[in-house]
Amino acid sequence: MKILIIEDEKELVNSMAQFLRQESYVCEIAYSEREANEKIMLFDYDCILLDINLPDGNGLKVLEKLKNSNKTDGVIIITARNSVDDRVKGLNMGADDYLSKPFHLTELSARVSAVIRRKRFDGNNALVFNEITIDLLGKVVKVKDTTVDLTRREYDLLIFLVANKNRVVSKNAIAEHVSGDNAELLDKFDFLYSHMKNLKKKLAEAGSDDYIKTVYGLGYKFST
Amino acid sequence: MRLLQVSLRSSLIFSLLLVVVSIPVSLFSISALFNEEVDESMELHTQQFLKHIKSYANLDDLETDLEVLDQLSYDIDIKPSSNQMVSRAFRTTEIYDSVEHELRSYRELSNGVDIKGRHYVLTVRMALVDNKELILTIGLVQSFLIILLAAGLLLLNRRISKRLWKPFYKTLNQLKAYQLDRNEAIETDKTNITEFDDLNTTVRMLTDRNRKVFLDQKEFIENASHELQTPIAIFQSKLDLMMQNPSMSESEAGMISELEMTAQRMSRLNKNLLLLSKIDNDQFSTKEIIDVTWITKEILYDIKSMADVEAISISHDILPVEIMANRTLIEVLITNLLNNAVRHNVNNGFIRLSLNEGRLTIVNSGPKVQMPPEKMFARFSKESANTSSSGLGLAIVKRVCDSCGYKLNYRYEESHIFTVVF
Repeated sequence: MKILIIEDEKELVNSMAQFLRQESYVCEIAYSEREANEKIMLFDYDCILLDINLPDGNGLKVLEKLKNSNKTDGVIIITARNSVDDRVKGLNMGADDYLSKPFHLTELSARVSAVIRRKRFDGNNALVFNEITIDLLGKVVKVKDTTVDLTRREYDLLIFLVANKNRVVSKNAIAEHVSGDNAELLDKFDFLYSHMKNLKKKLAEAGSDDYIKTVYGLGYKFST
Repeated sequence: MRLLQVSLRSSLIFSLLLVVVSIPVSLFSISALFNEEVDESMELHTQQFLKHIKSYANLDDLETDLEVLDQLSYDIDIKPSSNQMVSRAFRTTEIYDSVEHELRSYRELSNGVDIKGRHYVLTVRMALVDNKELILTIGLVQSFLIILLAAGLLLLNRRISKRLWKPFYKTLNQLKAYQLDRNEAIETDKTNITEFDDLNTTVRMLTDRNRKVFLDQKEFIENASHELQTPIAIFQSKLDLMMQNPSMSESEAGMISELEMTAQRMSRLNKNLLLLSKIDNDQFSTKEIIDVTWITKEILYDIKSMADVEAISISHDILPVEIMANRTLIEVLITNLLNNAVRHNVNNGFIRLSLNEGRLTIVNSGPKVQMPPEKMFARFSKESANTSSSGLGLAIVKRVCDSCGYKLNYRYEESHIFTVVF
């Protein structure tokens, strides 16, 4: 699966590319609007990560060009200017998602896989992981044939962990993911323990193996 | 005291003094002038008398005639004198007036004359103006003058000065109402008075410059926050990568965890600063009808798990409320108030939220704060050693309330009570 990263901060691009490559994505990089325009015309990508603030122009122009040439690449806008206007404009122009800096790479990876999934399976999709099946449309989780009754938080948590399987996902990243932009009380993320405990308990009761591991003081890992 | 009154008072006092001093001065000068006139006139009378008497020198019984004249004439005394030489003398005397029953002042001129070889004393007498009456008249005239002067000055002061100072008061009132964060410059009219035009130009320049500095600063905060986002993103991403290292030791993991917490704090702080400057820059101006009840319930749901960690109980009494406002701002307002209620709470404490038409009240248990309430809403004012608190939460709440025109109240009655009146 091919991903194009359009971003002018080399250090950030390196991290993003390195992280996504570990997930066996093929990453290409464009540092400027000109480079980006060349690449999107020549190739098709499963997902494009688009920074709005480019040294030689606005990323939204790249998006416009992409949509004008009827390309169906998934697009996630990345910006340091977390403004409502930009978000609305970007999404109206056909971007699939919007991520504001700074972000966790695990969050990025989860968003990328969600976009690719939507594009690939045309919305009719289910995540299958060994005996666990997650129906993303109906938001129903099944272990073999037993439906697991999860709360909204627990469901979000599971999706996030599965999207980052075999990776360490930090407590911060999880807290931010499940409580959105308003995760102000990060020192109180002991709350994660109880959610995680409940999730593990419910999955185990439904007959699933214990995939969710605690990693030192860092966070959690959904490992096979 | 107003400037106008000061200048009026000085000129009034000065004119009063002048008038008061002028009374004795005019009195003396008038009576001196009058006396001089009277003296001259009496001398003339004396000369005329002597001249005429010479033409009657041939009369035999002139002696008797002179005696009769002395008796009949009130103004002239002519009396035989034994003294050889009576020198010429002026004097002022008072004679009883039998009609008016009072003493009257007279001026007399006495001369020694020789008629037909006999010595006589000739005294010519003229009535003087009554001093008392003179004083009274002059005093009356001057008092009238004073009244006229004062009335005139007051009137002029009222009419002309008020009109004259109008541009000044206009500028002053504009300065009083001037607020740096409002979007209006000071408007001044062109007057024909140099000082006022100078003042207006200076005031305009000063406010324009202040405003520019203020806007620059606002822009700087927003730009600085934006610029910081990318380095923090890089920092964060490197940490995320390091975390994936399977051969990491536990102490390394601990260190990375601490670094991540720090990165998170920086990011939070920066986002909050950005949020504040966005509110300041009116970037949340789109309004819609929003269901505050639904938003409040959502945020309560989000916050519940955090509150559970410290066994803080949350009770609420929520009525359906819809208001016209900006959705983001309302979310920010309620989230920050509730976050504050959780953060500055105690184990096994409580939060009570009530929402009804036009009023949101959040009560939470927690120790009394030492700082004055108004300082609580200032940026970066922290009292607890709670390092993870950004110190911006309540400042954001205050800014949201200010920009939406909501009334924010805080009081402490065994628990913290925050009220927002929409």
